[in-house]
Amino acid sequence: MTAAPEVLLTLPARPEGIGLVRQALAGMADALDFDEAVLADMKMAVTEACTNVVVHAYPQGEGMLEVEMLAAENGVTIVVRDHGFGIHPHAADAAATPALGLGLPLIAALSDAYELHGGAGAGTEVRMTFAFVRDHDPAAGRPVTGTVGPDGIWDCGA
Amino acid sequence: MEAKGIELEAAADDVLVVAVEGEHDIYTAPVLRQRLDEALATGGGIVVDLTGATFVDSSVLGALLDARRRALDAGHGYVVCVGETVEPGVQRILDITGLVPVLPVLRTRDEAVAAARAANGAAPT
Repeated sequence: MTAAPEVLLTLPARPEGIGLVRQALAGMADALDFDEAVLADMKMAVTEACTNVVVHAYPQGEGMLEVEMLAAENGVTIVVRDHGFGIHPHAADAAATPALGLGLPLIAALSDAYELHGGAGAGTEVRMTFAFVRDHDPAAGRPVTGTVGPDGIWDCGA
Repeated sequence: MEAKGIELEAAADDVLVVAVEGEHDIYTAPVLRQRLDEALATGGGIVVDLTGATFVDSSVLGALLDARRRALDAGHGYVVCVGETVEPGVQRILDITGLVPVLPVLRTRDEAVAAARAANGAAPT
């Protein structure tokens, strides 16, 4: 493998930008040794993290979405960051925006490791790691539980 | 980038197909919701054909589940199909969310149209 590419994308937190983030991931993956299934999981998990930013981070208006891609020996880490309210949903938003509530369960199931950082008003960071080659399926260890409830929101069954 | 690749196609007198192609996420989910609304308004069975789709996220699943609930409430058949060879960006999210039996998801459009027609007029669940 050649030198690790490091990419930082900064774009307005709007729905139309998330496809661009997926294209950047695909471009980066082309230069690395990615298993196709891992790349598909990475696109899905990063899409869900970016969607959380677009839907929840800036209820007062416009803000920026940051996506950082860091390559290491065994895989890549993708950091999705905002400078707003982050991934913590607000009741008012939930009513206005039809969201299923599956974003975080999908991020947990599709990444080999993930961390959430941040707090109210301090912005939020979702840090996801994806191995080039997997020895097990992360969705087996952290499966998405539950199903859709009668209200149309995901019910984890907890 | 534009919101393309979501079309209504008549499959038979009493079933409409909403054909979805390419990548879809929160940006194009409103267009999908609009097409599904149009299909629901015709009052027949609905098939959502994801054969040409390469990526769908949870925003798309939300739209599919909303339309499913409304179709079932109105007693209309509602079936999703994905084709014989399914893209990982479509199959994986359906598999890990357990939605294959819920939506339900079948393989070919022909199977899905037949199932949607058979379920048409069923009692609301």
